[in-house]
Amino acid sequence: MDDSRTARLLEIVLRCYPAGWRRRHGDEAAELAALLIRDGTPAGSIAWSYLAGAAREWLTPRGGRRLGTAACALLVAACSLGLSAGLLASAGPARAAITSQGSAAPAASAKASTSQGSAAPAGAASTSRARTQCQPGTSARVPGVIAAVGRPQVIIWEAGHGRSC
Amino acid sequence: MAVGTRGGRAGQDVLRRVGEASVLVLISLADGPKHGYALIQDIKELAGVELGPGTLYGSLDRLERLGLIESLPAEDRRHPYRITAPGAAALRVHLDAVERVSAAGRLRLQLGGI
Repeated sequence: MDDSRTARLLEIVLRCYPAGWRRRHGDEAAELAALLIRDGTPAGSIAWSYLAGAAREWLTPRGGRRLGTAACALLVAACSLGLSAGLLASAGPARAAITSQGSAAPAASAKASTSQGSAAPAGAASTSRARTQCQPGTSARVPGVIAAVGRPQVIIWEAGHGRSC
Repeated sequence: MAVGTRGGRAGQDVLRRVGEASVLVLISLADGPKHGYALIQDIKELAGVELGPGTLYGSLDRLERLGLIESLPAEDRRHPYRITAPGAAALRVHLDAVERVSAAGRLRLQLGGI
């Protein structure tokens, strides 16, 4: 490898380091590389060492980067809370529908027995509406969608009940 | 996070986790300040280990963050580094631990008759 290509390679590799590191060690690192090459160390191995060092430098947590880590943790926590809230919101009406389905049928039949004439079809209609709103689903899993405001929609698998529940 | 003055935290071997390269750098600096190139040459003579420049700077930064070494004002473009008092104490604790393990290993080899 000729001198200009070696110098170019080392320049590129040293650019991989964070700016703070380059300000502090950049000139010295370039000079050190030149001295090592003069001593017979292959330029490729020097470049590789600097490249690995740059990767370590980026991956090692620093004081300033703790803020970023904390922000990531908060984001993950917020996403988990959002997902949990979404699941609760979808489970709440389903549970209410199950309980109202159990009590709605006797109430409707009682209403029908006490009422005369047109009251009977009304009771039947309310029962049928309850049935259409919340039908016990099949045991097979069906895909459901939770519409989350301001967030991407989350596709979940609901067991037992359809989306109308 | 700097280390205390007497061999780290209450005599703990803080150098156990910093890696071999960092220990070699500290040993090299034990007899006086050196800059990067001198450190690489000295470690090559001392231990037969050729430290890559990337590894060297990683070790220097780590040791400096721990307060075990400090950089001196630059001479030309080179930054000499010097071992600090906590660094010397930590090195003593580490070398003692290594010696104990080494002695135990030799003894067991003798007892085993291998």
